[in-house]
Amino acid sequence: MDRRTLLKTGAAAGALLAAPRLARAEAKTITFGGSVPMTGKAAETGLNVLRGYETAVKFVNEEMGGVEIGGETYALELQLFDDASDPTRAATLIQRQVDEGIGFFLGSFGSAIVLPTCSITEAAGRIMVQAGGGSDLIFTQGRRRVFGVFPRASRQFVSSVNMFEALEPPVKTVSIIHTNDPFSQFQADGARQSCAAAGIEVLDFIALPAEVSDVSNVLSTIRANTPDVLICTTHDQTSILIARQMISSRTNVPMLYQTLGPQTEAYRKTLGGYADGVVTQTYWDEEAPFSGDWFGSAGDFAAYYRAHFDRELAYHMASGAVCIVSYLQAARNAGSLELDAVRDALAALDFRCFYGPVRFTEDGDGDAALMGPKLMQHQDGELKIVSPPESAAAEPIHPAPPWRERA
Amino acid sequence: MTRPAHPLAVFAALVAAVAVALAPEALGPFHIRVLQFFFFSAALATAWNLLGGYAGYWSFGHMAFIGIGAFAAAHYAMAFGGGGAGPASMIAPVAVGALSAGGVALVIAYPLLRLRGIYFAIAMLGVSQIAAELTNNVGALKGGIGVFLPSPTPAGMPPERFFYYLFAVLLGLCLLIAWAIRRTRFGYALLAIREDEDTAMMLGVATERWKIAAFVLSATLTGTAGAIYGYSLGYFTTYSVFRLDFSLNMIVFCLIGGIGTLWGPTIGAALLLFLTQVLLSRFLDVHLMITGALVVATVLLMPGGILRAVGELPRLRPKREGGT
Amino acid sequence: MDLFLQTALNGLVLGGIFSLAAVGFSLIFGVIGIVNLTHGVFVVAGAYLALVLHDSFGIDPLIGVLPIGAVLFAVGYAYQRTIIHWAVSRASVEASLVVTFGMAMVFRNLLQLWFGPDVQAITPSYGFQSVAIGEIRIDVVRLAALGASMVILLALALMLARTHFGRAMRAVAQQPLAASLCGLDVRRIFGLTFGMSAALAGASGAIIGIVQPFSAATEVAWTLNAFVVVVLGGIGSPAGALIGGLLLGLINAFTAQYVGPALTQAMMFLVLVGMLLLRPQGILGAAYGETR
Repeated sequence: MDRRTLLKTGAAAGALLAAPRLARAEAKTITFGGSVPMTGKAAETGLNVLRGYETAVKFVNEEMGGVEIGGETYALELQLFDDASDPTRAATLIQRQVDEGIGFFLGSFGSAIVLPTCSITEAAGRIMVQAGGGSDLIFTQGRRRVFGVFPRASRQFVSSVNMFEALEPPVKTVSIIHTNDPFSQFQADGARQSCAAAGIEVLDFIALPAEVSDVSNVLSTIRANTPDVLICTTHDQTSILIARQMISSRTNVPMLYQTLGPQTEAYRKTLGGYADGVVTQTYWDEEAPFSGDWFGSAGDFAAYYRAHFDRELAYHMASGAVCIVSYLQAARNAGSLELDAVRDALAALDFRCFYGPVRFTEDGDGDAALMGPKLMQHQDGELKIVSPPESAAAEPIHPAPPWRERA
Repeated sequence: MTRPAHPLAVFAALVAAVAVALAPEALGPFHIRVLQFFFFSAALATAWNLLGGYAGYWSFGHMAFIGIGAFAAAHYAMAFGGGGAGPASMIAPVAVGALSAGGVALVIAYPLLRLRGIYFAIAMLGVSQIAAELTNNVGALKGGIGVFLPSPTPAGMPPERFFYYLFAVLLGLCLLIAWAIRRTRFGYALLAIREDEDTAMMLGVATERWKIAAFVLSATLTGTAGAIYGYSLGYFTTYSVFRLDFSLNMIVFCLIGGIGTLWGPTIGAALLLFLTQVLLSRFLDVHLMITGALVVATVLLMPGGILRAVGELPRLRPKREGGT
Repeated sequence: MDLFLQTALNGLVLGGIFSLAAVGFSLIFGVIGIVNLTHGVFVVAGAYLALVLHDSFGIDPLIGVLPIGAVLFAVGYAYQRTIIHWAVSRASVEASLVVTFGMAMVFRNLLQLWFGPDVQAITPSYGFQSVAIGEIRIDVVRLAALGASMVILLALALMLARTHFGRAMRAVAQQPLAASLCGLDVRRIFGLTFGMSAALAGASGAIIGIVQPFSAATEVAWTLNAFVVVVLGGIGSPAGALIGGLLLGLINAFTAQYVGPALTQAMMFLVLVGMLLLRPQGILGAAYGETR
């Protein structure tokens, strides 16, 4: 393209970008700011969380006609941008939103991004409710305006250990495989501590590099030293790889527990019948017996989501949506949108909805007993919640049959 | 051999310094942050330029020193505390970070600087990947789980302003060093090394010593920048500081602005950052593409960078491997 | 002992795949003389194409290798005749490094835009079977991948040794000026070499896609892998790539088993730096002798 064309296109593009934002519509709006990784390392889950936010906003605006707080009706607006999984970028652009006066922030995904950004919002007196960072550091540094819908990482394994102890025969040994990234490692450490506290011996604690290509060596170790439960806190594709290689190398364990992976359609599609017996965790499932205001039941949420969005439904969507729902419930309880009032109402929040019970500890993370993960198991081609008993739809199958018998 | 500084240049520098000092009064925090990142990037590029532009040894792995500086500072601060609060608490850890980066450079300088051209570039890339992998996978280094640096901002000052000033001072320091080097024997030795190392060696220039000096100096400055960057993040993991795109940006800024010149890296940084952070900040998913395209365009159209293309300086003849 | 043998076998199988992934890179380095940092992107592009063929048309990646190779051949040829040629003729060798890296960024971004950032994998129908030799097991998938890689490498070696084009390529690699004086169109041969390299990279990508997960972001690792293989084994020849690849595979496997799986990449780079310092031309040396 010649220089003149280039200049013209450049000028046009520049003008477009510099164009002043359109004047806001007359209807009152509540604006939610924040960043989400839409590209980069954390994009897979970041996009899930984003869809969750979008679902909540769409539902409130279109199905409910806006939300009524303190006598006025408000529409919701999302002003989220892509932080490219980069903490510096997130910090810079969150700062801009703070300057622009946004009061309610939603969280990014990944503790490495949530930590610096929540410091900024806290320092500016704004509120953040997030579904993306479980690191203890977010909640143990005296912040009062940061809330998370997950319990902190070190408490996330409590419900799993409870299940281990309730199994017949009870679990005595585990081995843990994780990758060296903040999420996986924190979860693995939390698992190790919780198991140790319950008297369960950790045979092997194996670290994989961030990009895993081959685990045959690791599996040789597992075959030589077989635990009752093999716990993997690895990400989706790594979990599939581990399972695949376990099958082809005939590595059998009484229970394979993978925290991420078995929830996805790709897992079931790839492994077929071999997926039966695999245990995973989730913070939410569409068949859970939860219901309340806002969306109705868990199933209603799933139906609404599927009717309007393409991306495969995972629990992150529900977690993202409940952040917005929590804001609105708190604002309603407080009868106002004043930051202090909403903050206090969030801290005192205690209600049930499509996500289950919602309550925060005094440090801001989700209550470990109420909002901790539930365990699910693939049984006969479906994922069923098997623990804790109050939410269970089926009994856990333990020990699982050897791979050959599951094909 | 040294020329006195041109009075106009000195005046311009003073005006710039005053402008930088006063700017935060007039700008909002977002723009201060953008400028902060600009100072950081320009300082990195200027430091890289000492080895890459002046001496002609293109390192593709300078991110190693950023990461080493940041992690060394963090481990020191976590183990021994900073001593005092506020900015004073930064001094020891940042010094440790800078010295660690310089120290590592000193250790690897002798073997690595025997390589030339592409081999050196890739070897440095390898070194930086080793550093990143070890930090991430060796438990004691805590790269996977992350490290934490307490905020050194003095009470009453917004953090972005504090780091704005800090990085501005760092850039000033790097520019000063780069300017000073050019006017000394050190600078001429590096120039000789870049143009024809073997001949320089034959003529008695202590190439070995000067190369190592440039390498260590470049690494130390980079490490300092890395340590301060770690402070600005507060909490970081391996891949928050061992970033391949930092390695590349350093090279790209110098390439675009004018490699081997004093102001080239800063100009390149300003241009590219303006483009990506301000104009295209809402088009993040094409960032990589735009940067890549710009790099390619620059090499094809202006191989020496803007400053050389504009003609202020003698045209840099592309260096032929081994001389023909 | 069994563990040792099992590890060795794992390493050799992995190494065979590495060899194929690196041979294209080696050819370019040997014949044209530049380091092509876009190499990894071609590998990953091949994997993505195989994914599309497998998911949309049900074509097994090992069969899809042929069309994928053809597509990438065209891309590589065009790429060399335009951008690479301009870069090399206008600027220094290091600059070609930067240009190929810049283009890698562009292509990677395009792949990310088209396919998304999610990690993918291809699971063929034989994905769960394995073969046993005594106490030692090997996945059918890996065996098939190794077999395909060896076949392609052999075909390449035969082509280089026996055909006219192969001879022309070797001639250009040894003495470009003399070759052009003898009537060879050097620029066209450069283009064809590049196209072939891209085709080989894409083929290896399709094969890799069934063995392990991939995404656009993994391309950097494959470029570096290729560099290590070349530095280990030697520049410019399939034999060098084979030796380098097998060696790297063994190092990888033994590090994973006896040191720790998380340190395999660190070890690979350590080997790279070590070889660069000790013997940068690799075990077999530059296949075409002192050219430049």
